[in-house]
Amino acid sequence: MEEFRDKRVIQALLVELEKKTRALPSSIRIMEVCGTHTMTVHRYGLKKLLENIGVEMISGPGCPVCITPNEIHEAAIELVTKKKNFILTTFGDMTRVPSRKGSLQTEVPASGSVVKIVYSPEESLEQARSNPEKNVVFFGVGFETTIPAIALTVREAFFEGLTNFSILSALWLIPPPLKAIVEAKEIAIDGFLYPGHVSAIIGEKPYQFIAEDYSIPGAIAGFEPSDMLLGISSILDQIHQGKAMVSNEYSRVVRPTGNPKALAVMEEMLETKNAYWRGLGLIPLSGLKLKKKYSNYDAENKFNLNIKGGSGDLPGCRCGEVLQGVISPPQCSLFAKKCNPNSPYGPCMVSFEGACFVHYKYNRGLNE
Amino acid sequence: MCLGIPAKVVKIEESNFGKVDYLGTKVKTNLSLIEDVKIGDWVIVHAGFAISKLNEEEAKETLLMLRELASQQATEDKKNDVEARKNNQKQRI
Repeated sequence: MEEFRDKRVIQALLVELEKKTRALPSSIRIMEVCGTHTMTVHRYGLKKLLENIGVEMISGPGCPVCITPNEIHEAAIELVTKKKNFILTTFGDMTRVPSRKGSLQTEVPASGSVVKIVYSPEESLEQARSNPEKNVVFFGVGFETTIPAIALTVREAFFEGLTNFSILSALWLIPPPLKAIVEAKEIAIDGFLYPGHVSAIIGEKPYQFIAEDYSIPGAIAGFEPSDMLLGISSILDQIHQGKAMVSNEYSRVVRPTGNPKALAVMEEMLETKNAYWRGLGLIPLSGLKLKKKYSNYDAENKFNLNIKGGSGDLPGCRCGEVLQGVISPPQCSLFAKKCNPNSPYGPCMVSFEGACFVHYKYNRGLNE
Repeated sequence: MCLGIPAKVVKIEESNFGKVDYLGTKVKTNLSLIEDVKIGDWVIVHAGFAISKLNEEEAKETLLMLRELASQQATEDKKNDVEARKNNQKQRI
């Protein structure tokens, strides 16, 4: 499996890519949608190597911690700071996102309440089972990679008849913001690199509209450096041939129809809703929420949270623009000064997959 | 957050759970999203859930292709080395 990171393989692939870009009139702009792809691009020095051969990589909105807006963080903070005997569980980086009401990490919980970091939604269920006198809320954030796991967990709770468990959901779908970005035409994109593990769940079909309606080439890619280069190679081929499609360059993990069991549980438990994204604003049918049948497991409903969308970023934070690919992190005046991994000002610097964090970690020494 | 790691299924327990081996550590994993999972299968694990089974055939094909590329590149590198050495010798003469 080391072949995927082998230096000679990467070199050979870059040579292949260079032959393809040489024949093109101008440099190619490819958006890598997923935060994990952004990490690979920077970690293996691919960004500069690709720039040298005429391929510019732009970061997209595929970082769920980054795009969850302040109002949802603030609802979580309200719950655990105002209500007694609450256990709020969530993934680690969610606790460090600063909102207008502080962060889950810094705010003091109410009496008998606590914030617990979990690796899996299953752990929150275990908390609910072992603490029947407490209310357990899982602040569940994710794209289609994580959503089936969260849905299954709620399903388990439902069939067990647990009454002290619910989720505060921030569940996001990948295809709608891609449509919004393409429609907004704020940046020219010549091709999309689609997220490998989201695609393992949803398959190839949900991206077809980008090829068919907008004639933009795309490739589903895995996360090793050679996986990404194979994806980029496919996009260049599509450009050469003047055709746009969704090619699957991660066939060892992604089936064309995705994961039917995962899709089935999503269908069973969840329905689409309009949602406010940090930076991109309101995108129709871009989020998921629990169906009415499961409303007792939806914390928004159970605790009358009344979350109002559209709160925007903290003053001076340009995370929203970074997420749309309109600016790169160093173009934000707070980058590496007021905003850095030790004291992040916005979520793009908090998340390990946030463009600002990745840029800071791998690029700061060079030419900034 | 697409972070998912490839791991080998080493134990299948009742009610959809099992253990996967990731670099020597056995991790409890929910297997209910995988059709016909067997011990020895490789899966991608994300947030405590297996989300996809690795297709061995496809994996082998990709690896083969990459290995070929690597050896082609190694041949290129050797050629370039030999050229460079020849040029150095010429310059010295």
